[in-house]
Amino acid sequence: MRPLSAARPRLPLAACALLAGGCVGTGVQDVLAPRGPQAERIADWFWISFALAVAVFVAFVAVLAYGLLRARRLGERNELPPAHGRNLVLWGGLVVPTAILLVLLVLSAYTDRRISRLGRGAGPEPLTIEVVGEQFWWQVRYLDPAHPHREFTTANEIHVPTGRPVRLLLESRDVIHSFWVPNLHGKTDLIPGRTNDLVFQVDEPGVYRGQCAEFCGTQHARMALLVEALPPAEFAAWWERQLRPPAPPTDSVRVKGRDVFMKNGCGVCHSIRGTPARGRVAPDLTHFASRRTIAAGTLPNTRGHLGGWISDPQGIKPGNRMPAVPLKGEELQALLDYLHSLK
Amino acid sequence: MATLEPAVTPDARAGDPELLERTWGSPPGLLGWLMEVNHRRIGRRYIATGFALFLLAGLEALAIRMQLAVPENDLLGPEVYRQFFTMHGATMMFLFAVPIMLGIGIYLVPLQIGARDMALPRMNALGYWVYLIGAVTLYTAFLLGVAPNSGWFNYPPLSRREHELTIGIDVWISVVTILEVAALIGAVGLIVTIFKQRAPGMSLNRMPIFVWSILVMSFMIVFAMPTLMTTSIFLGLDRRVGTHFFNPGGEGDPLLWQHMFWYFGHPEVYIMFLPGLGMVSMVIATMTRRPVYGYTPVVLSLVATGVLSFGLWVHHMYATGLPRLGTSLFTAASMLVTLPTAVQFFCWVATLWGGRPRFTTALHYALGFLVIFLIGGITGVQLGAVPFDLQVHDTFFVVAHFHYVLLGGVVFPLFAGIYFWWPKVTGRLLSERLGKLGFWLMFAGVHLAFWPQHHLGFMGMPRRVYTYLPEMGWGPLNLLSTVGAFTLAAGVAVFLVNAAVSLRRGEPAGDDPWGGETLEWSTPSPPPVYNYRWQPTVKSRTPLWDPDWGTQPVVTGLREDQREMLSTTLLDARPDNREILPGPTLVPLVTALATAVPIVGVLFGLHWVPIGAALFFVAITAWNWPGAMPHRTEEPGGREHRLAQREREREEAEEEAGS
Amino acid sequence: MRAARRGLAAALTCAALAGCLRDLDPYLEERHTVAGGKAGEGPAAMRVYGCGSCHTIPGVRGADALVGPPLAGFAHRRYIAGRVPNQPDELVRWILHPQGVKPGTAMPDLGVTGQDARNIAAYLYTLK
Repeated sequence: MRPLSAARPRLPLAACALLAGGCVGTGVQDVLAPRGPQAERIADWFWISFALAVAVFVAFVAVLAYGLLRARRLGERNELPPAHGRNLVLWGGLVVPTAILLVLLVLSAYTDRRISRLGRGAGPEPLTIEVVGEQFWWQVRYLDPAHPHREFTTANEIHVPTGRPVRLLLESRDVIHSFWVPNLHGKTDLIPGRTNDLVFQVDEPGVYRGQCAEFCGTQHARMALLVEALPPAEFAAWWERQLRPPAPPTDSVRVKGRDVFMKNGCGVCHSIRGTPARGRVAPDLTHFASRRTIAAGTLPNTRGHLGGWISDPQGIKPGNRMPAVPLKGEELQALLDYLHSLK
Repeated sequence: MATLEPAVTPDARAGDPELLERTWGSPPGLLGWLMEVNHRRIGRRYIATGFALFLLAGLEALAIRMQLAVPENDLLGPEVYRQFFTMHGATMMFLFAVPIMLGIGIYLVPLQIGARDMALPRMNALGYWVYLIGAVTLYTAFLLGVAPNSGWFNYPPLSRREHELTIGIDVWISVVTILEVAALIGAVGLIVTIFKQRAPGMSLNRMPIFVWSILVMSFMIVFAMPTLMTTSIFLGLDRRVGTHFFNPGGEGDPLLWQHMFWYFGHPEVYIMFLPGLGMVSMVIATMTRRPVYGYTPVVLSLVATGVLSFGLWVHHMYATGLPRLGTSLFTAASMLVTLPTAVQFFCWVATLWGGRPRFTTALHYALGFLVIFLIGGITGVQLGAVPFDLQVHDTFFVVAHFHYVLLGGVVFPLFAGIYFWWPKVTGRLLSERLGKLGFWLMFAGVHLAFWPQHHLGFMGMPRRVYTYLPEMGWGPLNLLSTVGAFTLAAGVAVFLVNAAVSLRRGEPAGDDPWGGETLEWSTPSPPPVYNYRWQPTVKSRTPLWDPDWGTQPVVTGLREDQREMLSTTLLDARPDNREILPGPTLVPLVTALATAVPIVGVLFGLHWVPIGAALFFVAITAWNWPGAMPHRTEEPGGREHRLAQREREREEAEEEAGS
Repeated sequence: MRAARRGLAAALTCAALAGCLRDLDPYLEERHTVAGGKAGEGPAAMRVYGCGSCHTIPGVRGADALVGPPLAGFAHRRYIAGRVPNQPDELVRWILHPQGVKPGTAMPDLGVTGQDARNIAAYLYTLK
């Protein structure tokens, strides 16, 4: 009996942890559970606007109800004297709304400035990551302009250090997508032909889930991503691990698995550094086993899910770009072993 | 009380109902139906067709809600789901809301301004036929499984050929183009009618507020719709001919689409909103038995809303990476546009204040509009703020917002108008009991269906997803929202029952069941085909409430054996000219078919465009061929015979009285 | 004529009952008792291990795949994977280590814990 390489999940939170970075009620993908300064400032603005909204709504309904029922109370028609009518319209319809809107406008501009200033000008140099959206996954490339040999590509998961601004360069290779991790910041579109940028910062370590937020085709609903924030030392160690290509397999089953991968053309689309697989049109699989999800947040990265995914990608995510490749039973097992060895 | 009986003995040559009936009527049978140019019949067709499409779009919505009611549902697969949400949006926005408002305008405006018909009856008919062709085209594509599938606003590059080969996108382009033509035709007809056909004395500042709202809407259509036509033709060229308007690889820009679409798209929602505001004003005034408080501020608000709405479009594009200073200006503009509506809200409060209004179903819907639209307006202000919008843009928060403003600002006023004018249109009353039941179901349904969606947006649920993971925890609120959608549907169903019962055996309504103040309440219900036996004049905003309405002068001197109308000056409505209108004819139908050939035919091959253009040219030539007008009523012996007959009858009557 | 009608009624009743009778089979309960297995926790476990990525399983949200055979009516199956009889201990063994039962089969070893395997097996036996 061979040792099992997949992580052993624990019921029943395991699926939540793998897919959602937390569970319901702990603010997963939640605009009002901010975990970074940008999201926090936006949430603050919202709560102020909400308080004003409630006040406006209650006040208007109260005034309306009072006016409607006034005659009923007094038992006779009791129309508004013209001067009072004028005041009602002037104050209720113009002056008070203008004041409220001015407050909201100024606060909005202020919030906008605060969240935009991060990573620009003074302060620590942001970590720059290039994110390219494709139907229906995210290519992630870690940049290091001073040391280009230390750059590497991965997919669907973004690791960032805590306490340091992160600047995403957002591009698209096909249609318009939108990058959105609500716990951290508002969204920014990935538009073919232009590079947008989004700067955010995470203060607490954790895993945060995001999802594509611009309809991009049939599987828009299953184009999610995870952002994992690590303390700086752990992040640096993670970077080192990602730079190293995986050691060639020695175990015979894994060798067979690698052969299955190469012989069935997987390398035409996917790349695994240190092997002949150099494809660029599908997620990079160099450290596939270190990722928590498969197919851009569609499934947890466990053996069972991976087996189903490889056997029938169109069944799980119809309309995505991965074809089904027919494999014999033992070929599938070997391939699963190999892929889960790519830590 | 309200029906106008002139104090002076009418000229023997005027007010002959039988002659008027023959002059203004249509031939019977199918042929007559196809040749129809009468504004009320065409208006009714617009309204009936629009409402049928509303029901279809509602069914599409129920399918969407059923798919989303539980996580990982498999009722609608992702390919089918895309078509459903696109059809729901496109039907509601293009095929229901604007046409039905146009239809109500076409029906009601001539009545409210004291005219016998619209100024350009054949064009009016053309508008309807073109609209019908558009609707049939879209739904044929849907039934054939090739409906458009990339959202009602169809962003490229997704909608470009390399990403969407399906002909559905081309169907969208054709249908939208043809519907824009219909809307422009309707709008131009309404503008000309309102400017030139008002009753003498109905200066601009005496026009009913509803007519003002239709006028502003029509101008907005004229300024907004051509942009959409142009940009959808650009997409069609990209797809069929190989241009690169929206292809970044070819020096184009996907954002060009967004700018051009939303430059139309934002005014579009105000286009559908303004007539509702006008209807609410009428309902509140009549039910309170008072003119709307602040006629001038209300009218100026309508105009201001219309104008300002053209300056907001970028608020749909905050996430695209446009410069922050520019987008902030649009925040200010988006907030500014709420002020005119706030003014109107308080004018209505002032009207209702202390007035003991009659709480009819129509008033219920008007009050429901105030509450629901207020909530939607508030979330709209929030969405106008760039940082907050970046969080909730393209999530269910936006879906909640626009359903609140559309259901609140378009559907509820529409139902208020339906309950208000139904007696006039059909001659029967709707049941108030059923009406109020329907209202409460719809009111509760709106909140149940859409309030939870605000929360879903905050919880991270994006728009246009066909399913979601159970772990996200979105299941319960989605289920609640689905229950709400069905409640809303039940309310609409109650209305349908009410309507059916009323048509079969509703109580006769009489001319003026509500004690209305505007001209339409002075005709029988339903009005005869010629609207007014004697065309009225007015000297106030609320003519039927004038104490001396009974002795108001009427228009005389127009021929009644041909279709003649009095045209008046723009500002003061002083008599200006005599217009001769065409009678029933097949030319509008033929022209509509000729219009469809290039626009729909292009789906089958580019060669249909020049062929269709040639056919259209032929049709327009036939349209303008001299001798088509005037339409004269044939009469044995002619008018002189009838006059002599009348003279004889009068002499006999005098003799009998004398003896 | 009356006899024929009575016969028809009897035949129809039998046919209708046959489906129910299958469920009322007193031996079914005995055959399909998984010691220590909690059927109620089966679906959650199946979601975690990804069973639904390959099988269509009634009662498990999102399990609508056709890589492996559908599991509806599993309680009535006579064989597991066409190899071993459908009995509790065989099923648990299969879930724990399919590669051992049928080497080279497509179903991977999933690292299922003993308790999870018993829960899953108990749940599968509720699929009648």
